[in-house]
Amino acid sequence: MTDQTMAGSATNKEFALEAKDLRKLYKRGGEEIPAVDGVSLAVKKGEFISIIGPSGSGKTTLINLLGCLDNATSGSLKVVGETIFSASKCLSESDLTRIRRRVFGYIFQKFYLVPTLTVLENVILPFAFFKKAGARTNPMEILRFLGLDRRIHHRPSELSGGEMQRVAIARSLVNKPEILLADEPTGNLDTKRSIEIGGILKSLNERDGLTVLLVTHNPALAGIAGRTIELRDGKIFA
Amino acid sequence: MAENKISIYQIAYKNLLRKKTRSLLTMLGIGLSAWVLISLMGFNKGYESALSKDIDNMGFQVLVTAKGCPYEAATLMLKGGTGLRYMQEAVISDILKHEEVEKVTPQLMAAIFDPNRGESGGINAYLGVDPSTFPAMKSYLEFKQGGWFTDPNAMEAVVGYEAAELEQREVGDMLLIPEKNVELKVVGVLKRSGTADDGTIFVPLRSVQKIFEKEGLITAAGIKVDKNANINELENKLYDLPDVQVVSLAQVKTTIMSLVSTAKVMVFSIALIAILISMLGVINTILVSVYERFQEIGIIKSMGAMPWDVFRMIWTETVILCLLGGSLGIGFSFLVAKITDVLIRSLLPYTPTGSLVIINGSLALLTLGVVIAIGLVSGVYPAWRASRVRPLESIRSEGD
Repeated sequence: MTDQTMAGSATNKEFALEAKDLRKLYKRGGEEIPAVDGVSLAVKKGEFISIIGPSGSGKTTLINLLGCLDNATSGSLKVVGETIFSASKCLSESDLTRIRRRVFGYIFQKFYLVPTLTVLENVILPFAFFKKAGARTNPMEILRFLGLDRRIHHRPSELSGGEMQRVAIARSLVNKPEILLADEPTGNLDTKRSIEIGGILKSLNERDGLTVLLVTHNPALAGIAGRTIELRDGKIFA
Repeated sequence: MAENKISIYQIAYKNLLRKKTRSLLTMLGIGLSAWVLISLMGFNKGYESALSKDIDNMGFQVLVTAKGCPYEAATLMLKGGTGLRYMQEAVISDILKHEEVEKVTPQLMAAIFDPNRGESGGINAYLGVDPSTFPAMKSYLEFKQGGWFTDPNAMEAVVGYEAAELEQREVGDMLLIPEKNVELKVVGVLKRSGTADDGTIFVPLRSVQKIFEKEGLITAAGIKVDKNANINELENKLYDLPDVQVVSLAQVKTTIMSLVSTAKVMVFSIALIAILISMLGVINTILVSVYERFQEIGIIKSMGAMPWDVFRMIWTETVILCLLGGSLGIGFSFLVAKITDVLIRSLLPYTPTGSLVIINGSLALLTLGVVIAIGLVSGVYPAWRASRVRPLESIRSEGD
């Protein structure tokens, strides 16, 4: 489908993400392996989707493509109505950065907190590079919501795994993203902490209307989403 | 309410605190090269000014001696005074005829072997000076005790600070000239001047001529040139006098400076190597820390940092290292300037009196500027490398 036909769609404004026939090929020993193989997906604003599937099914590759962290080999992608990638258009790395910082918040399996910064400094780290109009002027609100308000002067080494992930969540939220991408956010946490993080994502979606895409191995965690997509061999299975 | 501002500079500074030992060692390397650099520049400045001061303190700019090698007078004196070359005293009036000449003072160097000096004897040297012209030319000389001679023909001596200590003489003591069996009365002891005068025994010219039977003869005439006159022109005119050698102290200075320049090239080469090594140290430290933080840099980029933001952050880390290391080295150089002086003195064949290493504020600023420039240059590659990290690289390693 071309850029023009997508732009012509009357329901564009409702969608946070619109992927059509996304394909990502990796070359391995002269052979082209499709990591994502013709995925079409429309994510409505305020939707909570979990993506599940076995290892190597293309979950992370798909979320990287949807989150503008990687370029697709073919297909098209629109993010909040703006064409990021299509047969006739491909944004530059700088333009992708602009989209990323305006639209997305990311949470990963590893927390990537800066060890020499305090909890508060880690949370407001994105402000050093970019402060979106309408960003949270008081990061304490989000810290309080995440139960970290008493830990703001602590360093990451003084926190538990669950607390560190909550700091990473707070950091992803300070610039008020429209879409939160969480790639195995509970991969390093025990069951209790996983449920806790799941609950936070759920309430962010319900309370703030945040669009959430959650990649997980954990079926229980996937169950909290409004819609679950299963990937197998780079294709949507169910 | 908690402060909710953070800058790239704060992050850069705190990044350096992650591996404190590594940052400290790199800083010490930079500090060491800053110390070497400022000390050498200080030496470059200090040596020349100390030499100029030494020469200016001689009180005259041109020395006229009897014909021969210009350095012969000193050499012969050290050999025992035999063979010193003499000129007629009348040359003074010929010299004074030139309008460029402001003052002239005749000198007669006499030396004699003293069997009681040291363990196996030594040379005692006496400098006959004219009481009417010499003190005026050496106006900077100050007395610790007593004063100049009472009479142009008096059997008296004024002793330099070190000579007085060596001979253990005070005003009122007698000084025996060996072989001649003449005793001189010490009428003055000079304060330390930091020049060759400290080791000299001054005696009225007429008395030296009489004691050593050199009436009407002198070994040298020191000329103070008029401020507005051209020294080179005067030198050429003086060569017209029969059987004289003209030594311009400016020439002596140039000769000594050119001898020292070889040593300077050597030490500057060492400084250059030190700087290069510290630069490589900085590049290595920052590059390793960039590689260690590859994923973290990727995450920062996913937060919205532009390549230039990351470049600036890493560049700032390098500059902070260099700034702190440089300040450390410069501070250290101020503290140990005296030791550096002694160290350089032991390396060079001839050193003037006075401070050899002059380290001041402007030199410190210059060194800091050089060190920061080194930081900026060293930081370019690691910063560029970091700015090129793609966000995806940070998560790819996590698997699918």
